[in-house]
Amino acid sequence: MWAEKYRPKTLDNMVDQAEIVERLKSFAESKNVPHCIFAGPPGTGKTTAALCLSRDLYRSGYREHVMELNASDERGINVVRETVKTFARVRSIGEIPFKIMILDEADNMTSDAQQALRRTMERYTGTCRFILIANYSGKIIEPIQSRCAPFRFSYLPRAEQDRYLKSIAETEGLSLSEEGLDAIFEVCGGDLRRATNTLQAAASLDKPIDSKIVFSIAGKANPGDVREMMETAMKGNFLEARKQLRDMILKYGVAGSDLVRQIHSESFRLEVPEQWKMKLAEIVGEIDYRLVEGSDEEVQLSALLAKLVEAGHELGKER
Amino acid sequence: MKDVVGNPEAIQKFASWIRSWEKGIPKKRAAFLYGSPGVGKTVTVEALANDFGLELVEKNASDYRTEDAVRRFAGLASQYNSLFGRTRLVLLDELDGLTGTADRGGVKAITDIVKTAQCPVVLISNNAYDPRFSTLRRYCILIEFKKPAASEVMKHLKRICLAERIHVEDDASKFVAQRSGGDVRSAVMDLQALTQGREGLSYDDVNWLAYRDRQETIFTVMRMIIYGKTCIGAKRAVDMADIDRDMLFEWIYENAPSHLEDPHDLVRAMDALSLADVYRGRIRSSQNWGFLRYVIDHMTAGVAMARRNAQPTGWIPFRFPERIRLLSISRAERGMKLKLSQKIKRKCHISARRASKEVLPYLSTIFKSNVKMAAGLAKWLALDPEMVEYLVGNAKNARPIINMLSQE
Repeated sequence: MWAEKYRPKTLDNMVDQAEIVERLKSFAESKNVPHCIFAGPPGTGKTTAALCLSRDLYRSGYREHVMELNASDERGINVVRETVKTFARVRSIGEIPFKIMILDEADNMTSDAQQALRRTMERYTGTCRFILIANYSGKIIEPIQSRCAPFRFSYLPRAEQDRYLKSIAETEGLSLSEEGLDAIFEVCGGDLRRATNTLQAAASLDKPIDSKIVFSIAGKANPGDVREMMETAMKGNFLEARKQLRDMILKYGVAGSDLVRQIHSESFRLEVPEQWKMKLAEIVGEIDYRLVEGSDEEVQLSALLAKLVEAGHELGKER
Repeated sequence: MKDVVGNPEAIQKFASWIRSWEKGIPKKRAAFLYGSPGVGKTVTVEALANDFGLELVEKNASDYRTEDAVRRFAGLASQYNSLFGRTRLVLLDELDGLTGTADRGGVKAITDIVKTAQCPVVLISNNAYDPRFSTLRRYCILIEFKKPAASEVMKHLKRICLAERIHVEDDASKFVAQRSGGDVRSAVMDLQALTQGREGLSYDDVNWLAYRDRQETIFTVMRMIIYGKTCIGAKRAVDMADIDRDMLFEWIYENAPSHLEDPHDLVRAMDALSLADVYRGRIRSSQNWGFLRYVIDHMTAGVAMARRNAQPTGWIPFRFPERIRLLSISRAERGMKLKLSQKIKRKCHISARRASKEVLPYLSTIFKSNVKMAAGLAKWLALDPEMVEYLVGNAKNARPIINMLSQE
C-alpha cells in the first residue's frame, strides 16, 4: 500500500506537525525520551511520528529496541501483565539504555489494563519508555496522563496534504487534477492515510484522477452512511432504510454502538422541528441502554427508523 | 439390519463396536450416532439389538430431563445385566431435547454414566458437535449417519408399496423421495398420507405437494398475527407455527413492516417487536424463561394491535427472513475478513479492526480494477489465492492476479 510505501521514515521527512517534530527531534538528539502520549484524529501522523522517532534514535538497530503493540486488538489486562512487562523489564544493550514500547490505539485499552500499565510504566522507566497513541487522550486514565508528555496532533492543512499527494502522484506517474485534489480533501478531510488509500484506489483505475473517480471510490469505501439511511427513513421508505441498516451491520460489520453514536450526532443535524430532536435523543438513549443490556442491534435501531418514518410523515402534513 | 436404508459404513462401524463387547468392555463405552432427522439412527439401533438379541432399554430426552432422572434411569440400566441374563443395550435418544441450563446437569450425568458403563450405551442426537457435548464426545465412538440418496429412499418406498400391495408409478415415488431430501421417515409418512384409502398413485396425485410446502403453515400463522383482530387470536398463532420462537420472531420482524402502510401503525409494531427483543435479552441474561410469555405477547399481540389506521391493501407476499439468509452468508465472509485484516495489520501498523474498516474497501477496489497493482499488493501482504479471490469478488477475474503471483 502506498500509505506504507510513502510513510515518512525519518522525522525530517514528516509532513507538517512542525512543532511536534521539533520537540521529537530534540529527544532524538539528546538520546532521551520521556513517556509520551500522541493524541489526535486518525491519519495525522501519530504512528508515523513514533516510528520515525524510534528510527532516528536507534538507526539500523531499531527493530530490536522497539515493540509495537496495538491495544485495540490486544486490549486486556493480560497483555499488559505478560507481553508488555516482559518487554519492558529487560535492559537493552547499546548506547541508549532504554527501549521503546509503542502502544497504538491505547484509548481502547480497558481501564483495568491501563491501571496495570501505570505500575509497569513507573517501575521500568529506566529500561523502557512508552509512547501511547490515542484518538482521544481523555480516554486515558488521569494517572497515566500525568506521567506522560502530551503531544496533540491535528488534521493536516489542505496545502500540506496536497503537496504530499502531488509528490506521490509525480513518483507514480499519475495524472492528478486540482479538481481531484479538491475531491480527496472533501471526502478525507485531513486524514492522510485515507487520502493516500483513496489516491491509490483511484490510480488503480488507470485513468486521470478527477472528482468523479474520487467520489465513486469514496462511495464504495464508506457504505456506512448513517445520514443517508436516516433520510431514506424520513422520506417514508422504511424497508429501504432497514436494508441499509442491515448492510452496515452484517456486510460491513459496523458495531451497533458506533451506529448509535453516529445516529445520535446526526439526529441533531436533521431537518426536523427542535422538539423532535429531543424526542429522538430520548429514543436513541433508550436504545443505547438496551444494546448494552444485550438486545439485538438491528431490531432496536429499526424501531428508531420507524420513528423517523413517522417524523417525516408528520412534517409532510405540516407543509 | 439389512432393511435399514443407506449408510452401510456407519452401520458396519456400529455393528463391529457392538461385537467388541463380547470380548469385554471396549475403550469407548458409548457410541454417539448423529445425523439429520429421519436418516435411520434410531431404527439402526433397534434393528441391531434385534439381530444380536440384546435387550434394548430406551428413553427419549423428553422422558428424562434432570440430572437425577438420568441417574435413576440410566445408572440402573447400565450397571447390571437384565433379569433374563441377556446383555442390555441402553439407548438415550434425542439428546438435542436436553436444552437450556436446567438440563446441563443432565449432560453431565450422562457423561458420568458413559464413563462407568458396564453395557453398551448408545447416544443419539442430530448434532454431535454442539458445544454442550464437548466433554461427552471424548468418551464416545462417533458415528455419522448421512442422508441416503434419493434413489435409495425410492427403493425403500417401492419395497413398502410392494408389501402393502399399492401400485405406485415410478415418477410418483421418485418425486416423494426427492422431496424428502434424504429424510426417510418423512418420505414414508408422505407416502402413507398420500396412499391412504387408495390402491394406486400416479405422478399427478403427488405433484401438487410441491405447492404445499412447509411454509404454507407459516403463511397462515403470519396472517393470524399481522392481521389479527384479537390478542388471544394472535397469541394462539405461536402454537400453530412449527418453527421455533426465534425464527417466528424473524418472520414477523421481516414481514410486518411491508404490511403496515400507516407510519403510526409501523411505529407501534416496531416498538412492540423491539420490546419483545428486550425481553429476549432479559431471558438470556437472567436465564428466566418465564419472561418468554412477554416476548410472545409483544411479538404477536403487540404487532396485531399496532394496526389501527391501515387497512389490508391488496396482496403482499410473505418473505423468508432476509436476515437469516444474510447471516449465514456473512459468517463465512466475516472469517475471511478477519484473516485479511490480520495480514494488513502486520504490514500497516494499524489494528485489525481499523484495517477491515479503512483499508479493506480500498484494497478491494484495487483488486477489482488493476491486475498489476493487485499482484504487487498480494505479494507484499503475502495473500493466498483464496484471499485474492475474495477481494476480486470472483474466481475468473482473480486468475490473472494469481498467475502473475505464481510466475514470480
